[in-house]
Amino acid sequence: MSVMVRPRAVAVGVVLVALCLLAAAIHLANGGTALPVDAVARALLGDDSDTRVYLAVTELRAPRTLAAIIAGACLAAAGALTQTVARNPLASPDILGVTAGSSLGAVSVVVLAGGGAAGLSGMASSVSLPVAAFAGGVLAGALVYLLALSRSIDSYRLVLVGLGINGLAVSLTTWMLTLGDVTNAAQALTWMSGSLNGKDWPLVEPMAVLGMVLLAGALILGRRSALLTLDDDVTTGLGVRVGWLRLTAFALAALLASAGVVVAGPLVFVALASPQIARLITGSVTPPVLTSALVGIVFVLVADTVAANVLPVSLPAGVATAVLGGPYLIFLVLRYQRRLA
Amino acid sequence: MSRQGTTPTLRADNLTLGYDGADIISELTFTVPPGRVTSIIGPNGCGKSTLLRGLGRLLKPRSGTVVLDGKPITAQSTRQVARRVGILPQSPAAPSGLTVADLVSRGRHPRQRWYEQFSILDEKALRHALESTGMAGLAGALLEELSGGQRQRAWIAMILAQETDILLLDEPTTFLDLAHQVELLELVVRMNREHSRTIVMVLHDISLAARYSDHLVAMKAGAIVTQGAPHQVVTTELLHDVFGLRADVVTEPAEGRPHVIPLGSG
Repeated sequence: MSVMVRPRAVAVGVVLVALCLLAAAIHLANGGTALPVDAVARALLGDDSDTRVYLAVTELRAPRTLAAIIAGACLAAAGALTQTVARNPLASPDILGVTAGSSLGAVSVVVLAGGGAAGLSGMASSVSLPVAAFAGGVLAGALVYLLALSRSIDSYRLVLVGLGINGLAVSLTTWMLTLGDVTNAAQALTWMSGSLNGKDWPLVEPMAVLGMVLLAGALILGRRSALLTLDDDVTTGLGVRVGWLRLTAFALAALLASAGVVVAGPLVFVALASPQIARLITGSVTPPVLTSALVGIVFVLVADTVAANVLPVSLPAGVATAVLGGPYLIFLVLRYQRRLA
Repeated sequence: MSRQGTTPTLRADNLTLGYDGADIISELTFTVPPGRVTSIIGPNGCGKSTLLRGLGRLLKPRSGTVVLDGKPITAQSTRQVARRVGILPQSPAAPSGLTVADLVSRGRHPRQRWYEQFSILDEKALRHALESTGMAGLAGALLEELSGGQRQRAWIAMILAQETDILLLDEPTTFLDLAHQVELLELVVRMNREHSRTIVMVLHDISLAARYSDHLVAMKAGAIVTQGAPHQVVTTELLHDVFGLRADVVTEPAEGRPHVIPLGSG
């Protein structure tokens, strides 16, 4: 009887990695006009004989694909951590106000610093927007955690406080939109719908590094966080500093979610649904961080491919994640209610 | 066994404990008898569980100290403490979908580092814990599908897998019928005899406590009234003073332990 090596988890991992590669290949080949896969592969390997294909792949599509991967992995890992810490499948960064906080930060920059029809330019757009989005998410997360904190973290309290902060951030964002002129508002709305369009290397490169560091942290914390599903006394008895672990896991989740939003905008449902899908397919009690991240990657890649190619007009990826995730949220709420009843 | 060979010492020194309001226990001093089975008895709300939680560092002292192996427990990392003391709270909660083996393997946490996988040593301790609690056949079963007695044995197996010299059990027999209470207490005594573990538990049933403990501690209103061998502690006067119970104490024939026959309240 072997307890820790789960063949099912390994098999699921292998299949998911294969799916990620496949989805990434399709994503790379199908941004805008479809390119032959072999041409894409050659361009990726450094063959610049066809300059147009080479530039399209390396300067436009590769960063976009990488952005989808970072966003998917970060958001899903963030969801896995918050759902574990809160012992509640609804407690994801999009419900808890973290992603809404990021949106507020980003929209504030677009509206307050935007220069009319010209929009943001230079420094303002390439640095201040990501920084503001990141700070907004982390601040919202910190606020939720502090307000929800009592002797322990009560899952309902956390979700309710999170919904409150989420509502506040959303209303402030709407108010911001009415302040700016129409062009800025339109630009902000595009960002808010979760678009991977026009993500370039100067943004994607540093975020890939940051994402990797945060994900490594999440993997280390993941297994230990699973202990938090037992009650606080038992967990303390097992030698875990419960308050500290909960705080680090939640803080890491807020950082991850904010990083994901910086890259792709507030892609809804990725953080909520991916960990639960990962939990269901691995059959584990708490959502495993690595599997969740892989599911998140596939989810965002597929969503962006679908959104960009299904309709004559290319849509932001967030529209597709919303269409796919909405029904899932309803399903989850109904199931959760039935279990409580 | 990877347990440390030294005799463990656990002691409360002028310990004051409380939750939000008033103190529940004030300036209590108590040394846990090493290598023996001790039961804390007393009426509801007398501070039995509070004392146990204090001894197991689940509750921070308002003043005074809990001393483990000569050092204040608060000066040691919670992981260090978890390698010496295992504590099972009253009616512990677990998420649904957890198997017995999952639960018991969590008892290995204080002995694992974050970079380590489940080792052969862990596997051995896990199997030993499952076998000595009679849960080996149910390792793959879901916790929520077990009977009350089985579930309690699974929790005991978890803290056994921790391989500590001291075990603190808060009302381990709650919600069990008499046969299962006896079965569990026999398991507790076996854990003590086989590895000379020090065991402290909170028990409600005075006769069962007297039957299965080497040492009894009677508490009332946050203080220790008396302690000693069961026949010294369980007397008609004590039952009256501590529990407000009129009772006869007879000696049960098998082991000469005191047995309580209640006559009436007050």
